[in-house]
Amino acid sequence: MASTSNGTADTLAQLNSARDLALKDASYYLQIVPAVLALVGPPAGLDIRRWGAEFLAEAFASPSLAAERKQELSLTVLDLLKEYLDTPGEDVVVVKSVVQAAASIYPLVFRHIIYNPTNTATWQKMTAIKSSILRRMDSAPPGVRICCIKFVQRVVQTQTPGLIADPRRPEHNEISLALVPRDHPIIPPSNLEAETSGLLDRLLGILQEDISDPLLITATLNSLGSLTRSRASIATKIISTVLNFNPFRLVKPPVTTKMKVVVRSIERTTRALLQNFAKKNQNHALVGRIGQHIEHLHHARVAMFDDNNRKRPAPVEPTDGLDQAKRQRLGAEVTDAPSQAQEVLPPPGSRTYAWLFNRNPQEASANFDVKAITPEIVANIVLPLLIYADKAKFDHAINATQARLLAHRRDLPARTALDAAVTATHKPPADEDEEEYEPDFPPAETTEQILNRLDNAPPDELPPERPPPEVALGPFKFPQPPPLTEAETIDCSKDVVNRVFGVMAELDETPASKAQRPGFNRLAASGYDRDAWVTVITRIATRGAAGLENGIVKAEGEGERSIARYKSFSISNTIRDALYLYVIEDFRRRIDVAISWLNEEWYNDRIMAKHAGDAGPPVKHYDKWVLKVLDGIVPYLDAKDKVLIRFLSEIPGIGVEVLDRVKKLARDPERVSLAVNAIHYLVLVRPPVRELCVDALEDLWRNYDDARGPTAKVLNKWRPHVLQEVPNGIGAQVKSE
Amino acid sequence: MPDSTKMGLDGANDSNIPRTEAPEEDDSFKLKFCTVCASNQNRSMEAHDRLSRASFPTLSFGTGSLVRLPGPSISQPNVYEFDSVSYDHIYRELESRDPRLYKANGLLNMLGRNRTVKLRPERWQDWKVGIPRLEQKADRGSKGTEGGVVDVVITCEERCWDAVVDDLLNRGSPLNRPVHVFNVDIRDNHEEALVGGKAILELATALNKAAAEERQTHGTDGWHMGAGAARSGFDERVPDILAEWQDRWPTLPALWTLAWF
Repeated sequence: MASTSNGTADTLAQLNSARDLALKDASYYLQIVPAVLALVGPPAGLDIRRWGAEFLAEAFASPSLAAERKQELSLTVLDLLKEYLDTPGEDVVVVKSVVQAAASIYPLVFRHIIYNPTNTATWQKMTAIKSSILRRMDSAPPGVRICCIKFVQRVVQTQTPGLIADPRRPEHNEISLALVPRDHPIIPPSNLEAETSGLLDRLLGILQEDISDPLLITATLNSLGSLTRSRASIATKIISTVLNFNPFRLVKPPVTTKMKVVVRSIERTTRALLQNFAKKNQNHALVGRIGQHIEHLHHARVAMFDDNNRKRPAPVEPTDGLDQAKRQRLGAEVTDAPSQAQEVLPPPGSRTYAWLFNRNPQEASANFDVKAITPEIVANIVLPLLIYADKAKFDHAINATQARLLAHRRDLPARTALDAAVTATHKPPADEDEEEYEPDFPPAETTEQILNRLDNAPPDELPPERPPPEVALGPFKFPQPPPLTEAETIDCSKDVVNRVFGVMAELDETPASKAQRPGFNRLAASGYDRDAWVTVITRIATRGAAGLENGIVKAEGEGERSIARYKSFSISNTIRDALYLYVIEDFRRRIDVAISWLNEEWYNDRIMAKHAGDAGPPVKHYDKWVLKVLDGIVPYLDAKDKVLIRFLSEIPGIGVEVLDRVKKLARDPERVSLAVNAIHYLVLVRPPVRELCVDALEDLWRNYDDARGPTAKVLNKWRPHVLQEVPNGIGAQVKSE
Repeated sequence: MPDSTKMGLDGANDSNIPRTEAPEEDDSFKLKFCTVCASNQNRSMEAHDRLSRASFPTLSFGTGSLVRLPGPSISQPNVYEFDSVSYDHIYRELESRDPRLYKANGLLNMLGRNRTVKLRPERWQDWKVGIPRLEQKADRGSKGTEGGVVDVVITCEERCWDAVVDDLLNRGSPLNRPVHVFNVDIRDNHEEALVGGKAILELATALNKAAAEERQTHGTDGWHMGAGAARSGFDERVPDILAEWQDRWPTLPALWTLAWF
């Protein structure tokens, strides 16, 4: 026992090294195949028989070995293949490989016989192998049956006429029935045709009968692809059968995972085969049906599996709907349904394009002006509609439209010499022929082609040199809208401003970016963040209408009405008002907005003053708004707010009035120190306004009792002499402190 | 659950490869596998890695027109030719461009793993099925795929499954050899690829078990006399194996077909 297995192992090792040799250089097959034949035959052990069968399948499938060499080899292996097949109870794995090898060999032997019509013995062996395989086709284990299916497919492909690429060099032509002379003694083509037809039916029978094994079905579908590609004569028959094959007939409740996976897989395999065919044969008559069928399959699958929460189990319904007999009848009804009754043509004078193309009998749709819809929208609507359009209905509509057009042209009075001649002779001109012929074309256009034809149709059929006057449609222009009233203008402008601040509100919500702020070199408003938007708004407010407003000021003399009008509304001031409200709403967080805004105002005032010329002094905005903002803030400041100091230090100009506002803070005993500190800060860091500020402090010292203490310290440094004047003995108090 | 530590190990350190390639399994029967995704980088390579570590003969391919990897922005992907540029080359190039970015988005990690698996990304459509693959001996999983064919193809996206099935139809099945083409739908990111790779290995192991059992059953008579799932052949058990697997992995929708090389 041990010696046998050792012997087997040794033999296998030798065989494997022989195979390695053949893999490296395919020409070694010519020596190795005959050499191993004696070793691997049925008396050999199972492992060696398996190896032998697999090696033969591999050798005859190998693309690196030329077909002529394979053909030589094929004659030598027929006996062995037959022997394997004739051994009762031969191993499944061996049989599988043998059938694969036979499928590869069959065309080779077939060609050998074509050119060696006397070699009856070889053909008999091949025929015996073929019958043996065909016998297994219905009874063998499924793993073998699929290989039989492939074998049958190969036989059908071989025995069906193919393309003769080059009649002068037969060895380069694909092996097919087309190579067989009509009077061949062993393989007369007429006999082969009959046999092939029977085999093809057997192959297709797997799709027609009640076979539910997905392995057999997908194996068949995938093997058919090669036939539809290379054998046009039987492609239509195959595709029709596949179109009648309904993967969902396999669905029987309960719907298990296996059923879902299997049915989905079969459906997708069917789709792959059909699409592969349609892609290669875009003008084939069945392409339209293929498209529909794929749609049907898709919808059926969605209806069946992706919608499990419906009340009743779905399967029965779509199965019925897809049943071939029923679908045909429905299809027939659809094409017949629109009555062929002669429609009543309106009198020639009242015919329009709308009449020509309108398929809807209702009056309302005929009166609808399609030009009101923009071409983009039309394209968006039409394209999806065309995809889902019922082919039959669509063809019918085209034909009906064409019939109308023809009827219309018949009714037209003769206008050109040609037309006159035609009417005289009752003989249609050449192009008329074409048009009448057109409806008979097999409807095999793509949606795109139909679209193109529709686009081109009217100009083609109604040449520009004789535009029918009955079809009267001039270019349509929208009337100019009425000018906006002043109130509307103002409303719109306010809306615009609101929108501008709507963006601000959104940007406020997004967290400020942590990105490093660029310094002076930055380009304002280049970053789409809140800062950028602030810059944009403030500049619109300050600079946007600056020059224009000057013009308005100049125009004041022209009449009271115009002044009143312009004073009542100015976009800049509206934005300023909005900015003001925006800042005041949450001044602690938005003080930066206020500062940059006021800086812009100040800058703009300067620029306007520079360019004022003879137009008189421009309106000053900065002073007005800085006070307004300050007035808005001041009441709400609490004793420890730093906002005030920041504000005062960063606004570009400080005047007496500003300081007056600050001083007023000192009236509140709690906020005295806030006012004093703020002014003190200005004294320290803004030398240009130092005198003003010290004046303000002096005023505080003199007139606000609560401010005496804090101000005294500062005045002691800047104006000690004030403290010397002791009014009302207060100085003494200070000294005592 | 995605095992993020594993990815790091795979990419950075291949010292554990010899450990997982158990030598005693080499004699047993192994189905030959092929994994396919769009760019032959993430999902198919994760699965290739897993399967080859389990000592399955494995190939892998991409069905896209080019290898596309994320770049500095969505409009600037890194694009490479299939079958010419090696993983190592891509790794070095991206590392020299922006090591921080490509480390952070996991590309270097992935490419580091890939270059330990095989030489370069390969395109499915350019694969010459049946031409011996003897030069790729250094690729992991090359042992057993010298014949240039596989028994099972597993794609990682329906688009790829469609491309593979369509391509096989276009080739006209000249080899007459059956091949089971599966799809396991995996989203294209590192975490999902890890989960998907695990699921694919599980599917592969189940399929291989059935195929090995078929080979233990001697003769067609044995098939007739026997009883139970293990007694029936490998091919017809595939739908059942897939359904059982799908029940365990309901989030990875599967497809399958028996196609022909």
